[in-house]
Amino acid sequence: MAADETVTARRLRRTRTVDRVARTAGVAIATTALVAMLAPVLLTVLVSFSGDDFFAFPPESWGLRQYRELLESPLWGAALQLSFEVAAAVAALSVAIGVPAAYAIQRSRLPGRHALYAAGLTGMVIPIAAFAVALYGLLSQLGLRGTFVGLVLANATLAVPVVLIVITAALSRVPPTLELVAMTAGASRLRASLGITVRLLAPAIVASTGLAFVTSFEEAVLVNFVGGVEQTTLPRAILDSARFGTSPVITAIATLMMAGIGLVAIGSVRLLGRRR
Amino acid sequence: MSEPALELRGVVKAYDGVMALDGVDLEVSPGELVTLLGPSGSGKSTLLSIVAGFEAPSSGEVSIRGRDVLRMAPAEREVGMVFQSYALFPHMTVAENLGYGLKVRRHARVDRARRVGELLDLLRLPGYGDRYPRQLSGGEQQRVALGRALAYDPEIVLMDEPLGALDRSLRAEMEQELRRIQHDLSATVLYVTHDQHEALALSDRIAVMRAGRVVGIGAPEQLYREPTDGFVARFFANANLLPVDSFELDAAGMATVRCLGQRVRCRAPARPAGRAVLAVRPRSLRRHGDERALKLAATVTETLLLGDERRVTLEVVGAGPVVALLDARDSTAMAPGAAVELFAAPQEAVLVPEERE
Repeated sequence: MAADETVTARRLRRTRTVDRVARTAGVAIATTALVAMLAPVLLTVLVSFSGDDFFAFPPESWGLRQYRELLESPLWGAALQLSFEVAAAVAALSVAIGVPAAYAIQRSRLPGRHALYAAGLTGMVIPIAAFAVALYGLLSQLGLRGTFVGLVLANATLAVPVVLIVITAALSRVPPTLELVAMTAGASRLRASLGITVRLLAPAIVASTGLAFVTSFEEAVLVNFVGGVEQTTLPRAILDSARFGTSPVITAIATLMMAGIGLVAIGSVRLLGRRR
Repeated sequence: MSEPALELRGVVKAYDGVMALDGVDLEVSPGELVTLLGPSGSGKSTLLSIVAGFEAPSSGEVSIRGRDVLRMAPAEREVGMVFQSYALFPHMTVAENLGYGLKVRRHARVDRARRVGELLDLLRLPGYGDRYPRQLSGGEQQRVALGRALAYDPEIVLMDEPLGALDRSLRAEMEQELRRIQHDLSATVLYVTHDQHEALALSDRIAVMRAGRVVGIGAPEQLYREPTDGFVARFFANANLLPVDSFELDAAGMATVRCLGQRVRCRAPARPAGRAVLAVRPRSLRRHGDERALKLAATVTETLLLGDERRVTLEVVGAGPVVALLDARDSTAMAPGAAVELFAAPQEAVLVPEERE
């Protein structure tokens, strides 16, 4: 009896030790991963509050010098404004294309609607560099390379898939029977669609607008191929400035971009996850 | 009565050459609850979609209160719709759901509020007006769906297995509720189900459907006791179908039948002309019978105690598997493998035409 108890107790103790080691290892791995991901972000944010006019860590002085320089420089202001304009146009265009397309893909008996969906996602699937070369050729032929419209169209090819995915997913959670009931209750087809289905999609539409905006705003590859000399968007300006010299100003831009994009992205995701 | 609330004439629907509906005629009178009963794929839901206007028939006529509705949009047909999934508008309160039909019909706000109040009372959902559908139980949601379809006094309410998503006990309660509400409003209802108990409990008339056709129609009790053919007997009344060698009809609606080597006199209200079978319901089989009864020599294959009754499956020589519902106390000796004799009283057997292929 007593011997049995000892054996059981020993086994129990061994199990506990194994559990404790496993838990410690798990915490260590998670911490390392978190630090590896967040360290560059933290470093960037810290340096953005440096008072120096060169890169140094830790900074020799602190202050808002980088932000002041950013606001006073016409170069950065113009880049920010262009990025905003392009992103706004891209968001509007992508939603205007993506929402009706998702509706047709999910709700109609349109032949080839699955192929349409696959085609809609191409911009997201093809390697970006190859895609950029193709777009370069196409927009050149159309005479749109180096124009605002060309840049908007190029970025929209990346933003439309985002809208398509978000809206088709949201639409699959709205039962088609809702519209049928509304129609028998006396609503016209349009009223049933807008008043019921589109109304229920509203959070997803707002969220996908935000995500489309972000997709365009942070786009840094296509613009180098299809953008003209004057078309320096913010990511392109950052790239250029990093290439031609290192100014700590870019850490201020990066910090602002991270904050803005983070807010939009978090807001969008929360909208999508909201319970009905 | 005035003109029928709903009239279907020769309705056919073919999908890529497959006949979903193969010439359906049906009339529903005002205030009547008619059930379309049939296995899945028999065309009952397709018929409902055609009446609602979600789909167009390949041919045939559909009229509601004498108006040909085939060219009308669902909104113009004056129908109400209740789905199995409730399909409540999740972004609207109970009151807004109930008042939706009145709102799109541009009824004044005060009228709407009054009507919604009446409906909440009728549905026994007092004080639920400001709640959202997600805050209601399944039974409550289905009552709201019912009220929403009835709110604007449609000519006919179409219900597609409305109790299918509820559990057994709640379903029985909702059957009563539904019947009461339908009576109170004297609503006309076309009701789709595959559940024979539901059909029996609710219907003024039942139309049994099979392979896109109505194969039998009548009041529940009549259809149950006098099925129109072998399929109706089997599907609706769970009857056993025994092979018939030959039969002779007489003037009194009776027949003399040769079955399993015996001669029995039984009822034959459907007056079969071609091949026929003898329908005997499980509860009509007894352990004892007189010399006029049909005698079945059988071997027990399976038994299942249901409480007061025992469901016994047997292999009958010359007739295949047969199911009997026997008094549990009277059938304790019925173990698998046992050879037994069962009797069907002649007044409980019905001669019906064999089901058409």
